[in-house]
Amino acid sequence: MFRAMVKKEFLLVFRDLHALMALFVMPAIFILIMSVAMRDIFSQDSVHFDVAIVDLDKSAISKKLTTVIDNDKSFTIVSVEEAEFVMEMPKGYGNEESSKNQKIEIEVAGSLKSDAIELFKVKLLKHIVDLKLDIITERLSEFSDEAASAVGSVSLSSKDLFSISYNEGEDVPNSTQQSVPTWIVFGMFFMIIPMSTIYINERKQNTLARLNSMNVSIFSMTLSKIVPYLFIAQIQVWIMIAVGMFVVPLFNTPALEINGSVVALTLLSFSLSISAIGLSTLIAVSANSSEQATTIGGISNILLGSIGGVMVPKFIMPESMQQLADISPMSWGLDGFLDIFLKGGDTLMVLNESLMLLLFGIIALGISMLILHARIEKGL
Amino acid sequence: MIKISNIQKNYGDLKALDNLSIEIKKGSIFGLLGVNGAGKSTLLSILNGLTSIDGGEIEVFGFDMKKDKKKIKEISSIVPQNLAFYEKLSVKENLDFFANIQNATKENYQRAIEINDLSKILNQEAGTLSGGQKRRLNIAIGILNNPQIIYFDEPTVGIDPKSRNEILDSIKSYKDLGITVIYTSHYMNEIEKICDEVAIISNGKLVEQDSLENLLSNRASDKIYVEIIYDSNFDYSDFNLLDSSTIETTKSELAKLLHELDANNIDIKQIKYGASNLEKHFLEATKVQNV
Repeated sequence: MFRAMVKKEFLLVFRDLHALMALFVMPAIFILIMSVAMRDIFSQDSVHFDVAIVDLDKSAISKKLTTVIDNDKSFTIVSVEEAEFVMEMPKGYGNEESSKNQKIEIEVAGSLKSDAIELFKVKLLKHIVDLKLDIITERLSEFSDEAASAVGSVSLSSKDLFSISYNEGEDVPNSTQQSVPTWIVFGMFFMIIPMSTIYINERKQNTLARLNSMNVSIFSMTLSKIVPYLFIAQIQVWIMIAVGMFVVPLFNTPALEINGSVVALTLLSFSLSISAIGLSTLIAVSANSSEQATTIGGISNILLGSIGGVMVPKFIMPESMQQLADISPMSWGLDGFLDIFLKGGDTLMVLNESLMLLLFGIIALGISMLILHARIEKGL
Repeated sequence: MIKISNIQKNYGDLKALDNLSIEIKKGSIFGLLGVNGAGKSTLLSILNGLTSIDGGEIEVFGFDMKKDKKKIKEISSIVPQNLAFYEKLSVKENLDFFANIQNATKENYQRAIEINDLSKILNQEAGTLSGGQKRRLNIAIGILNNPQIIYFDEPTVGIDPKSRNEILDSIKSYKDLGITVIYTSHYMNEIEKICDEVAIISNGKLVEQDSLENLLSNRASDKIYVEIIYDSNFDYSDFNLLDSSTIETTKSELAKLLHELDANNIDIKQIKYGASNLEKHFLEATKVQNV
């Protein structure tokens, strides 16, 4: 009997093309778009400027500065029309004999923010100072090799002057590491769409009552729905991971790396599925129509997602909002995935999140069964 | 026998069933009549073990509803008014599913297909069937478990007369198989056509229960039913208006009525003499109950 129930559920879900699109295609597209779109925002080292160089001087120094800028990955030399910064080195800029050096004229695109301009100035200043130091060293060497050597050994590289390390508790993900778990979690909760459509049709048409009159218990009815959606949710997780690993890199964006345990990943995705199935079932059995269920489901997903760090990453939220995020099961799932992808988390590390998700799902399923029982009893 | 003794069912302050007692003979086709909200669906839900009772007792073929609900469900089947199957599945997939659920034998499976003439549409998606075909599938699912009792809840709603007659004929054939049929319908002529015995319920109470023959013959009186084209300007208060188009009168009062109607230009469609049909009887019975 149970096998027949599960088979029926599979047939119904896989014949609902709109639902499959919502479950598989929507999150996959979101992962791709958001990973690529937020690539630079999430990147910790990629400061990037499009710059055009107008060299009116054509001196050895102006040519050297152009070469140095060209070799720096933070700069891309483009045409004047495409540039955010247009650098004009005037005639006489490289004249070392002149008492007053000519200044570089920089024209900045109006849309650029002041912090980007400051960053550009710092980067450019570093190259100019390096260049000037080279000239001074060369000059000094004519008088004293010792002095020239002393000046030449001065390094202005940030790597030599200071080191930066990230606090272990505050790892910051790259765009793919953020997007994949976010849209796995968000997409999974969208199973409300097929689930509510099928559930409400069954209830409205008295099919559930008919099954109950055939001695099919409410527990069996609920369990038979869990199995297919659990299976679908696992496929969903691995497809989204595959998109992060193999499709996103095709768009010049970092690939997803699973640094943590696959067992932990399986446990977490299982728990998250139970949680999503529980909430979807609760909404499906409580709503009076599939329109109502999809509206309530959509709104609750968006609310849980906004609180839980799907819309705005938790690490950029203020402290109070981060605490509020902890009430959302989406946040528990997201934290668990980030632990695995980012911190190389093992089963123990995600156990807390997994248990909370499981508990949430089981409680929601329990309440759903009570509601369904009451509805069948009242003939609703 | 199905013995319903003084059952009560309340939904908050509403008494859905109020000390209702009915006895249904094994192997009969039993009609259950009542207006919307009379308590028919609640009674069917209770008899199918879907809804519990607040008081009273029910015995179904020797099984007590409270103690042996599972067994009662095994020997019963309901054909709901709604099309309780899966429109995205084919006819065969639906039958396979419900047959599996109930461990139906191959023989019963085939019989359900044959009686309901489904063999040519087995691979068709249920959602694409005609109204009559959908009703037949709904009924076929109901007989897969070879039940001893079948409850039909208005099974012919929204279908054409030809399909309705085919369905009524198939329901009559269940009696020959020894199956007890409990049938509710808004169409009185269906009840007249297939039922042996009828119970009329109103406001959760039994108004009358008798054999169809007795119910009809008891009304064989001097009553005359004049069917008119209703005119809202005419004052009907001196006459016994049963519904918006029928006035009940007697032989001695007929001349006066016809005179009045003629004087007021009320057109007469037909005049029926003798026994009432079930519909008139039902209207009378529920009218008395509601006064």
